[in-house]
Amino acid sequence: MGKPSNRKRTLGGMAGIFLEESKVVKAAYKVRESGFIKFDAISPYPIHGMEEACGIKRSSIPYVTFAAGVFGLLAALGLVYYTSVTNWPINVGGKPMFSLPAFIPIMFELTVLFAALCSVGALFYHCSMPKIDPPTIDKDLTSHKFAIFIPENDVGYGEDRIHKMLTELGAVEVKKVAEY
Amino acid sequence: MESNHSHEFKISKFEAPKNLKVIMIAFLGIGLLTFAFGLLKNPERMWTSYLTSFFFFASLAAGSMFFIAFNYAAKAGWSASIRRFAEAMANYMPVMLITAIILILGFKKLYVWADADQLQNLSGGKVIYLAPWFVTLRVVLFAVGCLVFRRLIVGNSLKQDKTGAHELTYKNIKYSIGFIAFFAIFFTMFSFDLMMSLLPTWYSTIFGIYCFAGAIQATMAVLAIIIMIMKNSRWISGYVNIEHQHDVAKYMKGFTVFWAYIAFSQFMLIWYANIPEETEFYIMRSLNGWMGVSFALLIFRFIVPFLVLLPRGAKRNDTILMAVSVLILVMQYVDIYWLVYPNFFDGVPQFGLWEVGIFLGFTGLFLMTMIQFFTKNNVVAINDPRLHEALNHHVTY
Repeated sequence: MGKPSNRKRTLGGMAGIFLEESKVVKAAYKVRESGFIKFDAISPYPIHGMEEACGIKRSSIPYVTFAAGVFGLLAALGLVYYTSVTNWPINVGGKPMFSLPAFIPIMFELTVLFAALCSVGALFYHCSMPKIDPPTIDKDLTSHKFAIFIPENDVGYGEDRIHKMLTELGAVEVKKVAEY
Repeated sequence: MESNHSHEFKISKFEAPKNLKVIMIAFLGIGLLTFAFGLLKNPERMWTSYLTSFFFFASLAAGSMFFIAFNYAAKAGWSASIRRFAEAMANYMPVMLITAIILILGFKKLYVWADADQLQNLSGGKVIYLAPWFVTLRVVLFAVGCLVFRRLIVGNSLKQDKTGAHELTYKNIKYSIGFIAFFAIFFTMFSFDLMMSLLPTWYSTIFGIYCFAGAIQATMAVLAIIIMIMKNSRWISGYVNIEHQHDVAKYMKGFTVFWAYIAFSQFMLIWYANIPEETEFYIMRSLNGWMGVSFALLIFRFIVPFLVLLPRGAKRNDTILMAVSVLILVMQYVDIYWLVYPNFFDGVPQFGLWEVGIFLGFTGLFLMTMIQFFTKNNVVAINDPRLHEALNHHVTY
């Protein structure tokens, strides 16, 4: 477990620890209704309906995937066109130099490669990963506990208010933590 | 944000709307008239048309059984509330057996190998494999096998509506695994026997998968259409919603890509190797106006559905999804037509009332079996142990 150091852009806040999935989803709804926008829900696994509860919009990664796929397709066409038609034409089985059927597998593969790698890249960018040695809210959040984290720069942040609200929503523990 | 959990769960007895019944009877009448008239006037054209429509609906029925089977085998919960729709499609099985037996009467008009002298001219093992009695046996075995598996699997599913016994689901998992194995072997032979052997000198080992990919894509299109009609109907409320539609549309899109993948794999290897006995198939489909049909398949069976179904919103929009589903069904007919017709009429495309009439007749039969199933049974498998999963189903973005 790392201690929050000052060199990192740490962000303090309050976290409520929950033991039940249904409670944390309900809590996320309530926290959003109370006016918080920058809060985060933390869970060891994906929870159905959590995106709606937290008010998370659709990510823009699919558009990155599509654009990268189109780019990969055209890049591959350029590659095979340059190598097989312009730069080093070789007659294979009497077929035309520009034979699209023979190029399609390469175009397909590069489409997939670019789309996949750029999606992963975009995901890392969106999640601001990699996060090296982040402060730990609770080590059980990766196995069986859930948390709602409200950062101190959120609208209407107030320690007493949040403590009261999260406890009422069923948090077994509310603590002051840091995250980034 | 859409929320689907506020509905009230209700089903009521299905009663076919009057105009649907009228349409069904009209279609049956048109089909029967075309069939009888065709036998007398233009038997060759009638049988080619019959084969195309027969294969179209046999693919749908077998495909729906495959959908039921792989959902059982994968222990899928989300599809429990729409399984009845696939079961209704599978109710076509007895008709498939009867229409298969009628098709056997037309073998002499359709297949070179049905003639004993011509059969002897084929090479080696084909003389045995394409012997008419052996082909007949395989086709009948496929139809009877499908019928038996439908009895077992759908029978258990219907029994569960009354008893709610969980062991029926476990039994169906075993039957489903059996059906998938049976389907893999017999559907491959079914497409070899009825479609590929129209040109007995040509062969392609991937051909069975090609027919399978198209069949499942079309099955998903029909399923999507049924879901879109049913989810807003008065017979069902809450059990089927846009989330199920979304997932079926995903399957439809998946099999769109799969069909293109298989079709291209078959084409590219033949194009690359350039061996006369293999290229024959594609040469026939590039002459006499068939080139346009070949490109129509590429564009309207793959490129258009692929691009249109790409955004999430398209799969959740009834108008767009309905249009794409209908397009896919039209292209499934064109695909089978493209497999059958170049072998006849000097390789010149023929399309007219013979094709439409017989197709409408089969549509009537398909609607009839489906209406009969829905009228007799609950429109949702109400006692399925996994139903709660389907009701809480939610597609994340």
